Amino acid sequence: MTPEPQPHKPARKQAAPLSETAFTLLVQGVLDYGIFMLDPQGYIISWNAGAERIKGYRATDILGQHFSVFYPPEDQSSGKPQWELETAVAEGRLEDEGWRVRQDGSRFWANVVITALWDEKGVLQGFGKVTRDMSERRAAQQALSERRRLFDHLVQAQETERRRIAWDVHDDSIQAMVAVGMRLELMAERVPEAHSAELRRLDTTVREAIARLRSLTFRLHPPGIDRHGLVEGLSSHLDDVVRSSWGMAYSFEHRMDREPTPETAITIFRIVQEALLNVNKHARASRVDVRVTSADGGLLTRVADDGTGEPRTEDGTREHFGVIEMRERAETAGGWWSMHSRPGTGTTVEFWVPNPLPVAASVVEAP
Amino acid sequence: MTPPGGPPGSPFSVILCDDNVLLLETLSEVVQAQPDLEVVGTARSGEQALRLAEQHRPDLVVLDIRFPGGGPTLARDIGRCSPASRIVAFSAYDDKGSVEQMTSAGVLEYVLKGASNRELLTALRRVAGAR
Repeated sequence: MTPEPQPHKPARKQAAPLSETAFTLLVQGVLDYGIFMLDPQGYIISWNAGAERIKGYRATDILGQHFSVFYPPEDQSSGKPQWELETAVAEGRLEDEGWRVRQDGSRFWANVVITALWDEKGVLQGFGKVTRDMSERRAAQQALSERRRLFDHLVQAQETERRRIAWDVHDDSIQAMVAVGMRLELMAERVPEAHSAELRRLDTTVREAIARLRSLTFRLHPPGIDRHGLVEGLSSHLDDVVRSSWGMAYSFEHRMDREPTPETAITIFRIVQEALLNVNKHARASRVDVRVTSADGGLLTRVADDGTGEPRTEDGTREHFGVIEMRERAETAGGWWSMHSRPGTGTTVEFWVPNPLPVAASVVEAP
Repeated sequence: MTPPGGPPGSPFSVILCDDNVLLLETLSEVVQAQPDLEVVGTARSGEQALRLAEQHRPDLVVLDIRFPGGGPTLARDIGRCSPASRIVAFSAYDDKGSVEQMTSAGVLEYVLKGASNRELLTALRRVAGAR
């Protein structure tokens, strides 16, 4: 008898209970999981296609062998296989992740669940064992943490280099030019008026160059970011540069679940710095609003100005570099970056970077 | 040892501290050219600066912030061994942190390197006059 199809609910077929044969077919056919049984002593008494795929043994090769053959020698000698069975008996089940060995001797990273199986009288009948090959996932996780390590290293190397250049400019170029400027001014006071005007012009040129070098070193290595963290670094940058130097109004809003790692903080700071530089150069804006908030396990940052919002010229190589640098920084950190501007409503730079937990203390970082 | 401040009408004694030789020489020449200021010593290290400060008890000390031994530390040490000396920072750094560091170490004026000689000299006279 076929049940009448209901108008709104999809019809559901009356299912007969799964026969033992069908169930066996199901288990044996599964390819993604190794599913097999052990007798109470740990000898293998059933095998499936997934187990063959993962471990390499055909049923005829492995049935009757002790399951400890799947364990690497160090686990065998420490008695891990036996301990796992005892734990499964005591606690009902045991889950483990670790290295296992294929028939050809190669290793794979496995997730293993051993379940103790009892009959209705409470007598142990054996164990069900489900094995998954997690090698790919493990490799992916390792690739991710390696990428993270490289990213941290890259950011730090870049900052170290910038700091070094900034110090060199400060301690050498600027000092020398300051001395030249002072001497020019001194000479201008000592020579006849006819010559002093020229010397004063030179002096002015030198001092203007000093000011430009100083702002270059400030951009190369803004003080504060590595000493006081992101909020402090951004606050003083907005205060010193945006308000004091450019005379622009700003707001700064921040809601962060936790302080980002130094590398993430530097990434955010550098992108905001570049975005602000663009605002000052191109937007003809009177104010800029900066916001950093926690979102989707990372930090979302927005830099919005009230400028002309006009489409950017395509020929400006320098500003093009700025855009590329911002995007590359965000993407290298594993995030995204976007900029939208509409005439009359200003330009908004928005980007998101992940905010990972600091690299585990066990990992020794180079100073 | 001379007491701080000479007889009335005598020039203010000045010690100059900078680890850049070229700059130190120029600075010395600029200050020495003023009839009301007299350079009594120049120092390129913290040790030298302290020894000179103790020996001369100068009216004025011009001190670079990035000085061997640390500008702020040296400013405090000078303040201890020659309390009447007035210290003027002469620094290539114009960030708030650097200014605050020096100010809290007892520096009375903060002159940015790149300012005109006249601005530096005005700052020196202002500080000396406040004596």
